Amino acid sequence: MSDIISVKDLVEVYSDGTKAVDNISFSVKEGEFFGFLGPNGAGKSTTIKVLTTLLKKTSGSVSVAGYDVDTDSSEIRKIIGVQSQETTVDGDLTGRENLTLQGHFQQMDSGEIRERVAELLKLVELESAAGKRARNYSGGMKKRLDLATALIHKPKLLFLDEPTTGLDPQSRIAIWTYLEKLNKEDGTTIFLTTQYLEEADRLCKRLSIVDFGKIVASGSPAELKRQIGADSIRISLENCKKDGAKAKELIKSMTDVTEIIDSEECLNVYAKNASLLIADIVRALDSIDIRLTSVTFSSPSLDDVFMKHTGRRIRTEELVKAPSRMFGGGRR
Amino acid sequence: MTLLSDTRYIFVRYLTKLVRTPILLFFSLFQPILFLVLFTQLLTRLSNFPGILPPGVSYLEFATAGILMQNAFGSALQSGNSIVADIDSGFLQKMLVTPVSRPAILLGRLSSDAFRVVIQTAIILGLAYVLGASVTTGVVGIVLVFFTLAFFGLAWSGISLALGMKTRSSETVFAIGGVITFPLLFLSPALFPISFLPSWVQTVSMFNPVSYAVDASRALMINGYDWGTILPAWGVIGLVAVITMSATLYQFRKVVS
Repeated sequence: MSDIISVKDLVEVYSDGTKAVDNISFSVKEGEFFGFLGPNGAGKSTTIKVLTTLLKKTSGSVSVAGYDVDTDSSEIRKIIGVQSQETTVDGDLTGRENLTLQGHFQQMDSGEIRERVAELLKLVELESAAGKRARNYSGGMKKRLDLATALIHKPKLLFLDEPTTGLDPQSRIAIWTYLEKLNKEDGTTIFLTTQYLEEADRLCKRLSIVDFGKIVASGSPAELKRQIGADSIRISLENCKKDGAKAKELIKSMTDVTEIIDSEECLNVYAKNASLLIADIVRALDSIDIRLTSVTFSSPSLDDVFMKHTGRRIRTEELVKAPSRMFGGGRR
Repeated sequence: MTLLSDTRYIFVRYLTKLVRTPILLFFSLFQPILFLVLFTQLLTRLSNFPGILPPGVSYLEFATAGILMQNAFGSALQSGNSIVADIDSGFLQKMLVTPVSRPAILLGRLSSDAFRVVIQTAIILGLAYVLGASVTTGVVGIVLVFFTLAFFGLAWSGISLALGMKTRSSETVFAIGGVITFPLLFLSPALFPISFLPSWVQTVSMFNPVSYAVDASRALMINGYDWGTILPAWGVIGLVAVITMSATLYQFRKVVS
């Protein structure tokens, strides 16, 4: 299948000098479920804004469905659906009115809109609330309505910028289910950004891990985890500054340990049979009087992949929604 | 045609929002109505002094045109806030990723502003009628008063829209709007006859577009079809509109490009 998105050497520098996207290249095939996984400020939203014609790129070449983003933006707008990070439903309008208005924006005719609105209200389970003003909806309902507005014209290519940020687990799973269905049954290509590991792991067939405007790793979740090649043991010590180096030296010498790196907690050990190794580590550290505060074992996760490439965990404590920057002061 | 139909959908959206937030309508009508009902009472005795007001005209009849102008100002200033709200909420971006006609986004907003001025003007005129003022030129005259005020409101919306898109802050739109609006009202014959004002104000008022617009609506209400006043007023409003709309278009291009 052919590439529906093709990005080469994309750079986006804001007028205040911030390099939001730093020379990235990637492509997405038609029908694919592709994701950008990374923390806040990694350049995910900026990339989406360039791809959806909202923001002019500084340099590089970007084409969507074969159209150049600079010269054929109006062609691109006809085939894309976009859900931005902020929930953008009009609170003064009802759910049905929001959907209908979006249908008009997409230049659909009234009969077609009526049919599609009914279909979507059912899909996102908002039939009973369709006549109420969106301002009275819960956060999850607004997100679902917002998603439905992005789907009104059955877009070939759907952009979702952190579609489940700020949602409760139940609403999140509901949205995941629609998205999987959309991708499988309708063949909609989906480009999703997220800072949730499980979201990327569950939904994306292929993903790029991004950090500080750069792509640090790409592949299917399974491939990426395989690259880690080993389970991980996270160790924190009572006094990491004092004992860290010594402990590292000691653990490094043990068999089956493939890699050991410094982490926020203290040390991250990668090993083949990690579960068997834990006891040895505890004993060895104890014998030289290094006090442990915790030892955690896990099979490789995308977080480990992120960790391996950046030395940090995804900063999930920053889940608070970042403000939109596109229309921020003097950024164009 | 896409432009027309898209303009209509956006027009309807803003109107729906307005109807569903009646408090906004109430607040923008509150001040003009206060002036119409109370302020005019304070000055009813003005007609006892010959030579200030036109003969046989009560202060209420005289001031109505000025109060209508004040009303047009007020609702025009809210236009900028609506665009700030759409930018802040992301709704504007949501429109911009669709094939919706770009000019329609602006035209829909402006036409809803004009419509709003007409509705508010009708309410105030109705109230003025109940209180004893009337429009000598009759129905056609009323339509022309509507036109003059809606046209002026549009020209003025341009200022708040351009400010809104430039600063992206509704506080700034209100602050700057207030700073511009009141001096212009006071330095015009909106609330007092020109002969009553000090000579320096008379001089300044000649360069104040508000004076022309007020004179035109007042002529229609009190004197009749005084084309020598009405046509130049439309010309002046047109000139203001060209300037403010250019600023608006310039800012809009920057936002949507």
